[in-house]
Amino acid sequence: MSLDLIRDILIATVPLLVIFPTLFAFTTWLERKALARIQNRVGPNKVGVPLTRYGGRFSLFGLGQPLADGIKMLFKENIVPRDADRLFHLLAPILALIPAMLVLCFLPLEFPWTESLLPVQAFLLDGAVIFFFAITGLNTLAIFMAGWASRNKYSLLGGMRAIAQMISYEIPLVLSAVVVVMMVGSLNAAEIANAQADWNWFVFTPWGLAAFVIFFIASLAEINRSPFDLPEAESEIIAGYFTEYSGFKFALFFLGEYIAMFAISGLAVTLFLGGGAGPGVAALPWLSTVWFIAKIFALIAVMIWLRGTLPRLRVDQLMGFAWKFLLPLSILNIIVAGFAWHAQQQASGILKAIIWVACLLILYATAKGLDQLNRPNVRPREYKYAE
Amino acid sequence: MSEQIAFWMLSAIAVLGALVAVRKRNLIHGVFALMIFFAALSGLFLLLLAEFIAAVQILVYIGAVGILLLFAIMLTERVTGDDGRRMTSRGWFWGLVVAAAVFVILLLPAIQELPPPEAAQAIDPSVKELGHKLMNPYVVTLEVLALLLTAALIGAVTAAQGVRIPKEEDSSE
Repeated sequence: MSLDLIRDILIATVPLLVIFPTLFAFTTWLERKALARIQNRVGPNKVGVPLTRYGGRFSLFGLGQPLADGIKMLFKENIVPRDADRLFHLLAPILALIPAMLVLCFLPLEFPWTESLLPVQAFLLDGAVIFFFAITGLNTLAIFMAGWASRNKYSLLGGMRAIAQMISYEIPLVLSAVVVVMMVGSLNAAEIANAQADWNWFVFTPWGLAAFVIFFIASLAEINRSPFDLPEAESEIIAGYFTEYSGFKFALFFLGEYIAMFAISGLAVTLFLGGGAGPGVAALPWLSTVWFIAKIFALIAVMIWLRGTLPRLRVDQLMGFAWKFLLPLSILNIIVAGFAWHAQQQASGILKAIIWVACLLILYATAKGLDQLNRPNVRPREYKYAE
Repeated sequence: MSEQIAFWMLSAIAVLGALVAVRKRNLIHGVFALMIFFAALSGLFLLLLAEFIAAVQILVYIGAVGILLLFAIMLTERVTGDDGRRMTSRGWFWGLVVAAAVFVILLLPAIQELPPPEAAQAIDPSVKELGHKLMNPYVVTLEVLALLLTAALIGAVTAAQGVRIPKEEDSSE
């Protein structure tokens, strides 16, 4: 292996390993601050520059909090239950982090310093999107491993819940991405992003909008975000699969969860929101990186907002929503997109608009109909001994 | 040269993973060793520039088959295998004979072509090409397979549902 190749691989990968954990630290602060504001609290506002005497004087809106949290996590005791499977208990948090970090390389995120490199980037691979889904799925195994290795019934329940939920929601997730792959005719992440230049974002088409909404909901379930955070529902099963984790192992789970959040938001940006496209990119190419990360943060802001406002689903609601609502809708969306693609080949102008409106109506009517069909048959409660 | 090194490393991991999967008495450890084997196999596919097959190998074998195995194991007893029972080792001779026979039969097509041709036939294993092949000559096979899997799924649901016990017997107890 030539030295040039090794150097190029390092230049291409090390920034990913530095930038995203840094963003993770910032996101934890953002999430705590935003949740606090939603709940009419102040949130972290004391820690400025940790480990110095200026920490208290210049609080910097509490921006030093993530660093203080990290140091706290590092110094906490590592407790392993006596009956736990020690090897798997150690491996699970690491295995939770690896797939999340690995899929970052399939995002078409071009940094200014990677332009002169040999073509080593993985998002140029022929099946980058399929690779993304395949490797994201490995996260499930880590969660099950953690649940099983802890020798704790709550951990195991959390792990089994995580598997059931992730398998169910992976299907609408992949099927909604199929629409974009059909339209572009490629599984190459860079090609998909380039196909959406000049504001031809897929989210601006009826089928793209439907697919984006399905993808976003399914991705929330896939990364265990609220309102789909049943595997770690603290009111039912303590903390789910990481009940028996403390110290830095817990921090690794936390990091893995947030990196997975970045990764799946990045894929949503690639598939539906035009990748790095945005105003001013033609003049200044490095702006595309900024736009990409800004779009990721826009999606994450929505996730935080949802976490602050929506209650958690019940298990039967969770499964019903995936199999009875999202799955039929995404299958119909594929069919609609197929017809629309063929119709658009010949049509132009006014006919195109009609096709768009028709597609929008079909998708809206289907969503409404599925919603009506899935409504539980619940009557108002009758009180016998009270009014 | 680097491909040679990668090939030998991946092969070693695959063989070790397979051995651990067979030898471990703890079923969960065995399944995870099997997954390491699948992952190494996927790496070997990548070395052959068959990216799509590599991705599907991870998606199907680790993502689906592995998790199915885990679900099945969670429904069985004696998962950890530390209750002192020993596996019987009778008949190991015939086992070895059968294993060797299977190995030779699998290698038969390669043996028949000895000495190996200088350069392999140039093929274009792109995803697009595969998709066209699946839709044009093999579409019937694909549909039949899909139908078979659907039938299996419905059968599994029916079998899992079992016989419904009438409600009156339940409440009379």
